[in-house]
Amino acid sequence: MNGLAAAVAVEGGSLTLGSGLLALLRPALRLLEPGGVLAVLSSDPSVVDDLPTFCRVEHHRYLGAEPQGPGRTRHLVMRGPLGLPREPRESGFSLASGPGRYSAQRVLDAVPMPAHASPSTGFAPRGAQVEPGGPAYPYDLLERDHVAPPEVAQLYDQAVSAQWDAATDVPWDAVGRHPPEVEAAVGQIMTFLAENELSALYVPSKFVARTHPAFAETAMFLATQMADEARHIDVFLKRARAAGGGLGLSSVTTSRSLLSLLELEDLTEAAFLLSVLGEGTFLDLLRYVEDHAPDRATAVLASRARADEARHVHFGMAHVRHALACDPGLYARLEASVRRRAATLAGVGEAPAALQDALVVYAAGSVEPEAIARGHEAYRALLVTMHENRVKRLKSAGFDDVQAQTLSDLHSPNFM
Amino acid sequence: MGADPTILLGAVAYDPKVVSIWEGIREHFRAQGAPMDFALFSNYERQVEALLAGHVDVAWNTPLAHVRVRRRTHGTSLSLGMRDSDRDFRAKVLVRRDAGIKRLADLAGKRLAVGSRDSTQARILPLWFLTRQGVDLARVKLVPFDTDLGKHGDTGTSEIDVLKALHEGRADAGTVGDLIWVGEQAAGRVDPARVEVLWTTPPFDHCMFDALPTLPATKREAFTRALFAMRWEVPEHRRLLELEGLKAWMPPREEGYASLEAALDAGFDVRPAP
Repeated sequence: MNGLAAAVAVEGGSLTLGSGLLALLRPALRLLEPGGVLAVLSSDPSVVDDLPTFCRVEHHRYLGAEPQGPGRTRHLVMRGPLGLPREPRESGFSLASGPGRYSAQRVLDAVPMPAHASPSTGFAPRGAQVEPGGPAYPYDLLERDHVAPPEVAQLYDQAVSAQWDAATDVPWDAVGRHPPEVEAAVGQIMTFLAENELSALYVPSKFVARTHPAFAETAMFLATQMADEARHIDVFLKRARAAGGGLGLSSVTTSRSLLSLLELEDLTEAAFLLSVLGEGTFLDLLRYVEDHAPDRATAVLASRARADEARHVHFGMAHVRHALACDPGLYARLEASVRRRAATLAGVGEAPAALQDALVVYAAGSVEPEAIARGHEAYRALLVTMHENRVKRLKSAGFDDVQAQTLSDLHSPNFM
Repeated sequence: MGADPTILLGAVAYDPKVVSIWEGIREHFRAQGAPMDFALFSNYERQVEALLAGHVDVAWNTPLAHVRVRRRTHGTSLSLGMRDSDRDFRAKVLVRRDAGIKRLADLAGKRLAVGSRDSTQARILPLWFLTRQGVDLARVKLVPFDTDLGKHGDTGTSEIDVLKALHEGRADAGTVGDLIWVGEQAAGRVDPARVEVLWTTPPFDHCMFDALPTLPATKREAFTRALFAMRWEVPEHRRLLELEGLKAWMPPREEGYASLEAALDAGFDVRPAP
């Protein structure tokens, strides 16, 4: 063994296997191909006995030891065939030093998503070296173009900086005293909003666990969406109970409509039905709540919720636009999905009665007949606006005029 | 109708994981076209008797059980395979740094913690090797940890007890197997300021699959073929191999049991568990 050359050498000093030598030894072995030789210089006498045991357990070959002057020994270890393949670990990044915000977008630019991901990389973050032989995980969203629109990191960055506090960012002391009919209408509308936002919290959660971590930005964006919905549920329920209104009715129409969302199993269909059509329609509803708000607190919370919803709509549109560009057969699938959903609400031509009535009284601001007439006009205008804006959004997402009209007409009378 | 081709394997249930191990290996054997089932025993003495009586085809034996089978069959038993980790096992004689033990002769008058009396690596062989080195055991105060008798040291409990006694100063020296020693060091559970190695025994071999010479050749062939088809690189295999504490199955060899044979001849055998 004299004169045998080692590719890598470590200076172990007086370290034993139990006092830290492994922390030098194992990384040095990982630098070698199987068959490569490591020299370990040591002045501890126990290493001559413990190193061969370590080698036996780890399938390296202990080649022997030779004295290197008084009290010092040079041990030679040949790297075995098991363990990590030699791959360069990620290095060379210094992303923090670039100009501007240290954003998720900057990280995504530096470490792009793969087109396909393997289920057996588990929860390993993109860019990590993955030890082979791990178990397969039950992810089934494994194709980048089905999971992650190009804007996803940018939307995540926006969402994170736009978070707000439902307890302090709404001027709760501005909730005034209103006629009991108006406050009851507020309670009914808030009940409806909270119920729908609960579905918007649950539906994305189904897809987070199915998303491969190579596309983590999508899961991270959905997490911000879920945090947004949680805050909306919180703020709507607070408003309902802020000034004597209390919660109103949950209707079968709403319940059926939301179940048909919860039952969706395809991410693109969910992004389309929930975010583009449902949350898109909610933008107009929240604008209505803001425009006719009886007090500043209600106006502010509707405005803040709408800003969040706009981001969710943006994500849904980006997702569908990207998916339509990648998959020409998608339109037919989405239309079929919208039709299936419409069938579950067949025979229901309008929004739940309790909600309609509340929206009319809310916009009227009182139960005087003249005011009610104005409120009813406002409600009818809302329905028109909802349809027009839905068509605009659908066209912007990549559908042609006829497709956009068809899909908008088929949309749920429940708004979401 | 031919005889049942199912190989019946005996193993000792020293830990609940044993069920997972053999359920998994049974699946692998079936996929390899080698039908196998297993029977669990609570101790190696009962398992050895079951093998000798023909109640099981193959027994997964400790070195002590293996050598007993060799003796009871006058050397005609079949050895079918072992783990990589069963080869070149060693035992360690550890000392407290403050015990003033610099050489084996210094053990005289000191407290030596030892593992279960049926543990090859923590009791039988280290003590036998010490006598071969000239240590007079009559002058050493043994501190025995006779836990899990019948399991032949499989649980490792008595070795952990030895390490604990050393750390806590209830013993001046102690004997453990090198796998436990290196594993506990790697896990950061050894205080190098208190405990160090005094001496390492020569190598010896550990567990073995034993069968009677009457095992049909078809079963023997099927067993070894399926066993050696297990691969560390295959995730389902790796899970089982990790549980059983190996990275590769190896062909059998007998020379690694010579020291245990000699120790038993010299009276280091133990009474079978009740």
